[in-house]
Amino acid sequence: MNLKSLLVVFTLSLLLLTPMVTKCGETKISMTLWNRATVERESGEFTERYFSLGRGYLRIEPKFTDRIKGRFNVDFFSDDDALDGAGLKLKYAYLDFKELIPIPESKVTAGLIKSYFGTIYDWNYITIQKALEDKEKVTSSTDYGMALYGYLPEGYGEYAISVLNGEGYKKTGSDVNLNPAYQANVRLIPIPGVTIGGSVRYEDVSFDPDTSISNLVYAGVGHLAFGPFEVWGEYLVKDLEETKSQGFMVMPIVKLGKLSGVDVDLVGRYDNWDANADVDNDGHSRIIAGFNWNILRDAKGKPQVLLQVNGERTTYEDASKDPVDKLMMQLRWAFSTKIK
Amino acid sequence: MVKMLKFFLLVFTSFAATIFLSSAPLYAASKKITITGSTTVLPIAQRAAEVYMDIHEDVNVSIRGGGSGVGIAALIDGRADIADASRPIKTKELKTARERGIDPFANVVAKDGIAVVVHSDNPGNALSLETLKRIYTGEINNWKEVGGPSKPIVVISRDFASGTFEVFKKLVLGGAKVKDGALMLASNKAVATTVTTTPDAIGYIGLGYLSDDVKALEMDGVIPTNETVKDGSYKLARPLYMYTNGKPKGLLKSFIDFVLSKEGQRIVKEVGYVPVR
Repeated sequence: MNLKSLLVVFTLSLLLLTPMVTKCGETKISMTLWNRATVERESGEFTERYFSLGRGYLRIEPKFTDRIKGRFNVDFFSDDDALDGAGLKLKYAYLDFKELIPIPESKVTAGLIKSYFGTIYDWNYITIQKALEDKEKVTSSTDYGMALYGYLPEGYGEYAISVLNGEGYKKTGSDVNLNPAYQANVRLIPIPGVTIGGSVRYEDVSFDPDTSISNLVYAGVGHLAFGPFEVWGEYLVKDLEETKSQGFMVMPIVKLGKLSGVDVDLVGRYDNWDANADVDNDGHSRIIAGFNWNILRDAKGKPQVLLQVNGERTTYEDASKDPVDKLMMQLRWAFSTKIK
Repeated sequence: MVKMLKFFLLVFTSFAATIFLSSAPLYAASKKITITGSTTVLPIAQRAAEVYMDIHEDVNVSIRGGGSGVGIAALIDGRADIADASRPIKTKELKTARERGIDPFANVVAKDGIAVVVHSDNPGNALSLETLKRIYTGEINNWKEVGGPSKPIVVISRDFASGTFEVFKKLVLGGAKVKDGALMLASNKAVATTVTTTPDAIGYIGLGYLSDDVKALEMDGVIPTNETVKDGSYKLARPLYMYTNGKPKGLLKSFIDFVLSKEGQRIVKEVGYVPVR
């Protein structure tokens, strides 16, 4: 029995056994919807102008006990290629077991879980654009597998080690190699407002059991927060055998809500990505500027109704390619309820 | 395309300038303290704020409840200067706070005892913490198992959202689950009322909610009183916090110092809690 089969059996066993040993204490049901308007322009011509549901998700989080809880998340979105114009994907389906291993403030998570890598696992879309590793398809935001996740004492950071399929959430059986991906992540907060961290991931991506193709991905992450000012930074490298891809992201944020009565964040972002460090003219960079207007927050301060406006320009190292400009306006709204 | 970008930058800059300019009047009225959080600590904060504002007429203290978690989230987001909490900050909250440049500092302003109560006709007077745990986890289900009449025990608890429940769970249950079938009530008052009207009930409430209508049990030989909570001999007790970002300074120090002053601690006692000074 290979690792994937074991993981499936393990996860299904846990899902079946849990309700038998304990009744569910409470269940949180939440939804988030992103209504988006997009205008795209290239070489002086409008190439796209449309309204869409950029993303919507339905999330169910049963809390069986203080130590066992689950999350099931299905995403739906506008998709012209799909039947009736809507796409669907399974994003999370996992159980958390708090302190299953006797390490304080730890949990074992199993199923279709978060990929604890770089900025992707706590990316909350401060810009409408995806995290760098997601956008450049270096890692997926979720994957099938298991992870040990925990907090360092006194809020000094967090860590995670994971064993994953390595194929993301879209594939489980077909076009999948037999080798697991191993991933580790750490974030340290030595002083309040200063976070540094790094992630590493290794997978043999060969489909042939007699050969080996190594795929090593690593990232350095930094975050500074002082009063209303924040800046995120990430350096990302992918070493796939002979091909090295690399890039970085810098994202400054000014939270005007801390200075004024208007709850608006100004955001900027610069991405740079070189698909192959040994090849010329294959890189691109992306600059984003915009704002997030938190129209309504819930009791815990999470945005319930949020207007996001982003202007984005992608320029290419290849001088023959024209820049692409995109203007996106998105109304993001969320609600949740708890059933006891 | 360049025109489009210029237009976007112009709109963006105008928007930013408007926000900055609109914020100016707020700086003028900055002698304001915002307090959010625990409903347990709320009576202390409210009464203390009233008296503090009488003394300092130029200061506006605004107070909201919502629960300990809501208060700590507001402190982390910068929407509150003080987070009231009836439990210590969790590691996850501490990590998030530090990430965002906030350094939560725990100011202990009072103590609260959790009294275990039964109906006034119940012949029992004392329990051990171990026996209490066995009652709440469903191992003991009848009063006769603890020397009482042969009657099923009606177990009453606070609900999951309660800070009192979290403390009870930690101090008594050691993280174990309350038995299925326990009545989970939303407030101290609801627990006290239900125990008063249910002869075979057992429940737990804050010291401030004790009355002659219910009987408070000795725990491990110690009766819950302000004195036993203060001297630490009564184990079912918890500190009550006012969290600030770092050690309080300026206006916040003035307010916290007031709560910890003789007058502030008199207020703590007046609203039913145990002074720490």
